[in-house]
Amino acid sequence: MQSSYYSHVIRIVLGIVALAVLGFIGKTVLTPKSFGTYGYYRADAIEEEANIEIRHWTNAPCFSCHAYEANLHLNGTHKTISCEFCHGPYADHVTNSKKTGILPVKKGEDIKILCLRCHNKSIQARPEAVIKTVTMPEHLKDQKVKLTHTCNQCHHVHAPLKYINRAKQIIGMQGEN
Amino acid sequence: MNELHEGARFLIANYIFPNDLHVHWSMMIVLYPYLSGLVDGAFIVAALYYVFGIKSLKPIARFSLVFALAFMFCIALPLLLHLGRPERNINMMLTPSPSSAMAGFGYIYSIAMGLLVLIILFIYRPTLVGMVKKSKGYMRLFYRALTFDSTNLSPEALELDRKIIKFLVAIGIPVATVLHGYVGFIFGGVKANPTWSSPLMPVIFLFSACVSGIAGIVLAYIAIRTYRRSAIDVNCLKILIHTLSGFFILAFCFEMLEVFSHHYLKSGFHHMVEGLLNGPLYYSFWEWQVGFCSITSLFLLGWLTLFKTKDQVYIILSGVVSFLLLLQVLFMRWNVVIGGQLMSKSARGYTVFHPEWFDKEGIIAVIVVMAIPFFLLFVLSKIFPLWVEEEKQV
Amino acid sequence: MDNAKPTIDKERRVFIKKVLEGTIAGSLLLVLPMNAGGEKIPEQLAGIRDKEYDLTDHDFAFIVDITRCIGCGSCCVADKKEFAVPDGHYRTWVERYLKDFDGNVYVDSPNGGLDGYHNPRTDIDVNVRDTFFVPKLCNMCKEPPCVQVCPVGATFLTPDGFVLVDHKRCVGCAYCIQACPYSVRFLHPVTKTAQKCTWCYHRVRKGLLPACVNVCPTGARKFGDLKDKTSEVYKILQGPGVFSVLKSDMGTWPALYYKGARREVV
Repeated sequence: MQSSYYSHVIRIVLGIVALAVLGFIGKTVLTPKSFGTYGYYRADAIEEEANIEIRHWTNAPCFSCHAYEANLHLNGTHKTISCEFCHGPYADHVTNSKKTGILPVKKGEDIKILCLRCHNKSIQARPEAVIKTVTMPEHLKDQKVKLTHTCNQCHHVHAPLKYINRAKQIIGMQGEN
Repeated sequence: MNELHEGARFLIANYIFPNDLHVHWSMMIVLYPYLSGLVDGAFIVAALYYVFGIKSLKPIARFSLVFALAFMFCIALPLLLHLGRPERNINMMLTPSPSSAMAGFGYIYSIAMGLLVLIILFIYRPTLVGMVKKSKGYMRLFYRALTFDSTNLSPEALELDRKIIKFLVAIGIPVATVLHGYVGFIFGGVKANPTWSSPLMPVIFLFSACVSGIAGIVLAYIAIRTYRRSAIDVNCLKILIHTLSGFFILAFCFEMLEVFSHHYLKSGFHHMVEGLLNGPLYYSFWEWQVGFCSITSLFLLGWLTLFKTKDQVYIILSGVVSFLLLLQVLFMRWNVVIGGQLMSKSARGYTVFHPEWFDKEGIIAVIVVMAIPFFLLFVLSKIFPLWVEEEKQV
Repeated sequence: MDNAKPTIDKERRVFIKKVLEGTIAGSLLLVLPMNAGGEKIPEQLAGIRDKEYDLTDHDFAFIVDITRCIGCGSCCVADKKEFAVPDGHYRTWVERYLKDFDGNVYVDSPNGGLDGYHNPRTDIDVNVRDTFFVPKLCNMCKEPPCVQVCPVGATFLTPDGFVLVDHKRCVGCAYCIQACPYSVRFLHPVTKTAQKCTWCYHRVRKGLLPACVNVCPTGARKFGDLKDKTSEVYKILQGPGVFSVLKSDMGTWPALYYKGARREVV
């Protein structure tokens, strides 16, 4: 049977139309529901992002159990420091009110490295008005202590001037330095 | 170039933003505009014959369409290899963002592909109808599908086909232009990158696409015909080389204009561009892209177009110049894509690109992706005879 | 815009309804951030917890005070741990600038400042004229180029002004990474989707400060709602201080302001 001279053209046009309709249906079905609610994106993604688990819980939950440290910390010059910076995030320690992990406590040389992260004078970019800095080992020499001393032998890590001020009170000196 | 821009002192820091160390768009994105450029250029050759009626291109008009199709099939391949989540590529079709330069790809590519397939099916309809009659079983079914189940080759059917072909190819020109010009705009639209953000970028990409496509056709034509020991139509070759010269002069002028304007305007991030071209890109840009590939090609093209040359020499030189230009365009893509990303957005330093061998965007993958179109061309040539006189033998 | 408002309100009501019915998992946590013991984390951002969250009624701003940054890298540490940021990628980082008397500027940021700055620069020998730290994070542009270029609408500007990434739709093309003038984006090596600083959107929605602001010991990072006239950021931005944004010529209109940023800061 000989087909008409334009039959293939009609089939092509019909094929294109069918493809377009199929494509349109597929696009409608597969596009996520909340897409376009606020703009050209999936609105549910906002809530998904908002629902991510919090890992840093601020100092308050720490203080609710560690009252002794809380008292020291809140009354010392380190009160602006976050517990979780030195010890790690709360989420690594407590899950559903249960202790699930032990957070590290820095000791020895690590303490020194940690302290000098902020207090190292040789990093000149630190504004003096913001932070007190020292040069090591000159500071140890000036204070007439052994060069092997770690920072926390004189400065309590939670309240750095606690012992210093106490000692000064005992020997009857007033004020700092 | 001893007098450096004042901004060049920025580079003393050699500071790269910590997230800028990695080059995110690597060799696959170099390959993508290269492949789409080849398609574009090959299509232009076909359009010259079918739309603008340049009769002397007849011997290669069909070939260039099949050549374009073989490469067209592979354009999406480097992109899929590049995507972090290739299985989600359908999102480009489902929710193409109207504000994004990249979002159009799915649709533009589909349209271009559909158009090219239709053009080829219409052109080869007489051949395919012949095959329907000859073949049996599954192959018959296959050829019936390709002919849209119509064996009508009456003069009025052929006349209708001829009109449709001319119409489709005419639409094909803007589509192919958009397909490639838009690739240029993907780069040109990134304002954060001082070498990319230029309205000249789509123009440069377009002209260099034509250059690479025509050069690819010339080289493939010479290579295949020489391999098969069949005659090469020097008259057709001459038209191709003349067209190639025109496009290359335009492409090269715009490439140099881009560099010159950067140099002359000396705007905010000029020091980064200057330092890039004279630093990390010195060899691949000045020596390879400009010096070796472009200047040599210009001299060769000048010789071929202006002076009388023996046919044998003409064929050899055409092959050489085409190869050089293919290399030129590849270097241009590399220098734009990889080069542009070497500049850290800190405006203070350059990162380094290390091509890997076995990565999914590595050198082996590049070789495989580049080999596939040639394999496809071979397969396609079994269905669509590349040369008119071969068909007469069939 | 006026026509769009009722639909937004309606959508929001529907959403809140869903939250109350518990059909959206985890949304309750959103409303009341408590641990199972019932201890609430004290509210850090006023006016978010006790009422229905209105996406359209907030205008958050982030202020980085360069004159107070000591380069301790607490912010970077907190950020890395809050989001388990993969090594070698940075949602926030701290740069060290150093300027000599010849006008040359030297910048470095070893490991993004994550390990802190323990040594002065030994690789250069110049007299220091000015030196300072610059923390970097997402600029939360009002005209975000990353959102513009995303081909699939997987990164977007929320009505409350956050630029976020939809990790379920991102195809990992990295166009947003190219488009960001501040290089705050990266491709997550495991999920292969784009990631960036979110100003801790999940914390903000629970009335908490972003993790980096929360840990900053010197108050160099400030965050708050400009629509809340009592907020710290409102008072700071209201004051006479000189503030700048990064790469203002890019036309991105950041909501991240810098106080004390020298002109060398890029």
